[in-house]
Amino acid sequence: MEAKFIPGDKVPAWLAELAKERRTAVPRREGEAVVFRPFAPDQPVPLGRQATTPPKGSVFPQCEPLMVFRYEKDPASPDTSQVRVKETIDETPRLVVGGRPCDARGFATFDRVYDAEDVKDLNYLARREHTAFITMACPRPSSTCFCHWVGSGPADTECSDVLMTPVEGGYVLEPVTETGGELLGSGLLEDAGKRLDEAHVVHKRAAEGLGEAPDLSETPGKLLELFDDMGFWEEVSAKCISCGACTYLCPTCYCFNITDEACGAEGARLRTWDNCMSYQFTMEASGHNPRPTKAHRLKNRVGHKFSYYPTIHGGAIACCGCGRCIKHCPVSVDIREIVLKATAAEPAEQE
Amino acid sequence: MQPLNPYLPDVATITEIIDETPAIKTFRVVLGEKRMKEFSFKPGQVGQLSVFGTGESTFVINSPPSRMDYLQFSVMRAGEVTSKLHSMSPGDQIGVRAPLGNWFPYEDLKGKNIVFVGGGIGMAPLRTLLLYMLDNRGDYGDISLLYGARTPQDMAFQYELPDWLGRDDLKTQLTVDVESEGWEHSVGLIPNVLLEMEPSPENTVAVTCGPPIMIKFTIQALHKLGFQDNQIITTLEKRMKCGVGICGRCNIGTKYVCKDGPVFTYEELKQLPNEL
Amino acid sequence: MSLLDEMKGRIKERLPELDVVIGWQRGFDPLHATPLFMRGEEDVDRLVLDPLCVHNLATYLTGLRDKKVGVVVKGCDSRSVIELLQEKLLDRENITVFGFPCEGVVSLKKIAREVDLDLVEDARVEGDTVKVTVDGGEKSFPLAEVAADKCGRCRYHNALLSDEFVGEPVTEPEADEYADVAEFESRPLEERAGHWREAMQRCIRCYACRNACPLCVCRDHCVAHCRDPHWITEQDTVDEKWFFQVIHAMHLAGRCTECGECERACPVGIPLLLLKRKLNKEVEELFDYRAGTKVEATPPLMAFQVEEENINERGW
Repeated sequence: MEAKFIPGDKVPAWLAELAKERRTAVPRREGEAVVFRPFAPDQPVPLGRQATTPPKGSVFPQCEPLMVFRYEKDPASPDTSQVRVKETIDETPRLVVGGRPCDARGFATFDRVYDAEDVKDLNYLARREHTAFITMACPRPSSTCFCHWVGSGPADTECSDVLMTPVEGGYVLEPVTETGGELLGSGLLEDAGKRLDEAHVVHKRAAEGLGEAPDLSETPGKLLELFDDMGFWEEVSAKCISCGACTYLCPTCYCFNITDEACGAEGARLRTWDNCMSYQFTMEASGHNPRPTKAHRLKNRVGHKFSYYPTIHGGAIACCGCGRCIKHCPVSVDIREIVLKATAAEPAEQE
Repeated sequence: MQPLNPYLPDVATITEIIDETPAIKTFRVVLGEKRMKEFSFKPGQVGQLSVFGTGESTFVINSPPSRMDYLQFSVMRAGEVTSKLHSMSPGDQIGVRAPLGNWFPYEDLKGKNIVFVGGGIGMAPLRTLLLYMLDNRGDYGDISLLYGARTPQDMAFQYELPDWLGRDDLKTQLTVDVESEGWEHSVGLIPNVLLEMEPSPENTVAVTCGPPIMIKFTIQALHKLGFQDNQIITTLEKRMKCGVGICGRCNIGTKYVCKDGPVFTYEELKQLPNEL
Repeated sequence: MSLLDEMKGRIKERLPELDVVIGWQRGFDPLHATPLFMRGEEDVDRLVLDPLCVHNLATYLTGLRDKKVGVVVKGCDSRSVIELLQEKLLDRENITVFGFPCEGVVSLKKIAREVDLDLVEDARVEGDTVKVTVDGGEKSFPLAEVAADKCGRCRYHNALLSDEFVGEPVTEPEADEYADVAEFESRPLEERAGHWREAMQRCIRCYACRNACPLCVCRDHCVAHCRDPHWITEQDTVDEKWFFQVIHAMHLAGRCTECGECERACPVGIPLLLLKRKLNKEVEELFDYRAGTKVEATPPLMAFQVEEENINERGW
């Protein structure tokens, strides 16, 4: 599979070709935000910066039916009705263009849970298998980027099919998977030739720009040690307003709610993004809530990402370092600061 | 083989509804004929019951695997789904996703003496193991049961109490929190009655379930009686949605109550972060 | 002595009698301030006080009701404190207000239109100028140009309530005529509906708008999560999202102090303050009332009069 090059001015035409084959999501400016929307030929595609929202919804929509159901009258005994339930598996071929390596890599966190040995989430898997990613390598890290902390980098290809790198006059396109190779068949593309080296210089410079990553190998244990130190958690969560911006903008946050919606005799069982910052998330029917304060909830969010998940999944951190939770937090809660503080914490004195 | 869709419920038909207490109803349900034949589970496993259009909620299967004419669930009215279930009638259809979670270590308990301590609706998960053991009586040593509720009216499974009280291979003690007219059994809080019963910890395992506060003091009482942490088994309740360890709300640190639980020994619970 | 040093001094003086004083410190980059919870003198040394201190810290007060809390407020923030006191959601004796004169805060959204916020290396405010260094190059913006819209029409630059006021009060400008609301109202219905449809399309239902609001006091018991009655579904449709925003705005009619935190907190930039201002405009016309300006006043929708002066109930 050969690397290709596309001149910047031919990108819209290329996207239009791709969008004929697959339902294609690209970044679009809406108001002050950049969000992923279906490709439309008349709309500009801002590829220069990380989008406000990740393209998580392409594989894991904010709200999707897990199944639909319908009550049907039994003609033999009209007093009773039978329920018919139908799975809703979506295998539409999709393509996401212009996400960042962190955005694509977020799905690696999903995969370990949704495609586990013992449980297969078929709704997720169908979308995951049928969605391809043409990912834009990051030429320059932002002040909020920390992908190198979690074992990634600005040109990481994990979960991507094509890596796209901005170079003079256009973009170098490197196929990563077989699907990626197929996506590079267009006559609009040229051979990358020497431009490939140029792309690799961009990758190298971006990686250097991130600097040294801290050693987080002790972090899972440290966070567990701090579990009962509510003073620590109250301090680091003092400014948190307990909204869901961090989780809903996170490419790796995968928690959800299941609710039914019905109208008349039919309806759907819905899966919707849910948010561990919400009081209702763990609220039990009895009225008991194991995570009653924002300190308990932020502890779970940080603990899940940097301790519990890595412990279960061979050290993999459930964070892709995209920095959206920092950048878009209304009060600038900085998860890096909390993780470092926990990692450096002296063990509490034994009673 | 095509993997199973973990969210897709069986459509089950309610065959019987028993009014247990003012707040608790018991539902007996059957799955489709073929599914019912191949269905198997272990005592202590739970299921997600759903009313289509209202939602799902988690309950333990409280009939034993040794009696497979129906699956039995006891439902305390507390929220939206449970209220809707309480308004249903025999013949109505509901969704059942089961079995989910782990189970009581009934194999490892063979040859041991068992002390059941159940409080209120917490008797439901104990019932499945109790009946299973009674159906396989020869495999176990002495079995005793302490079952308590706030008042005699709050005591579920009343239709079984005469049998349990009358058996000579089961030592049953009932208690209510406050003196009530016509009540012939103990009066007092479960942990106190347990101390009076004074079960020996020798070759014995205690299985307890009930409100958190009751479990807390029951464990203290068991410790006082000489039970070690690994001789105490309980089953937990948490808000659950997916039931298969994905959706993220029922974890205590690394353990998902829906998948790694709900049954834990007290020794295992003590290893977990303190977030009950 | 600078305003900041004077403020630090006053806070240090009062801190021994308080559990915590809430102010601002520098955030993850030089352009972002972040709330600071000061418990000891060394915390006070981290305080900053400039037009980058955008957050309304009154939002935290109801969550700390059982504590002795000090709070640093701008003029608009002080109105939220007053409104909370009016509604008896705070105890006056537990609150110590540190006020100062504010001449506007920076809208980072406006700065972001000019420079890439991801690459900010330095930022500082010198007099009326905001200086931002990106990629080695410095850009200057007159504060008036990059100030939040709310600041351009603010009538209350000086804290309306304070136990400690630091600095010289600034002159307060003319009345707010709700020109922005009137302009929006003048557009055709379809255009207005389209505006909100497009904006709500990108709402992610994170409820940052609600949680950043100092007067959204239902907190953990919000109508948005109530399943019985089942007001709002989990569906991510424009209808559901819009429904919530309308409920939110209605709950704030005559209570909203127009701090704009809903709009500032929104990660996808939905211009929510306009909705709140529309309702406040109605309240001002009907009741001649502005939320959070007098501690002793009763908000009009918390009172009942048989005959309302400006509502002609029988003459229709």
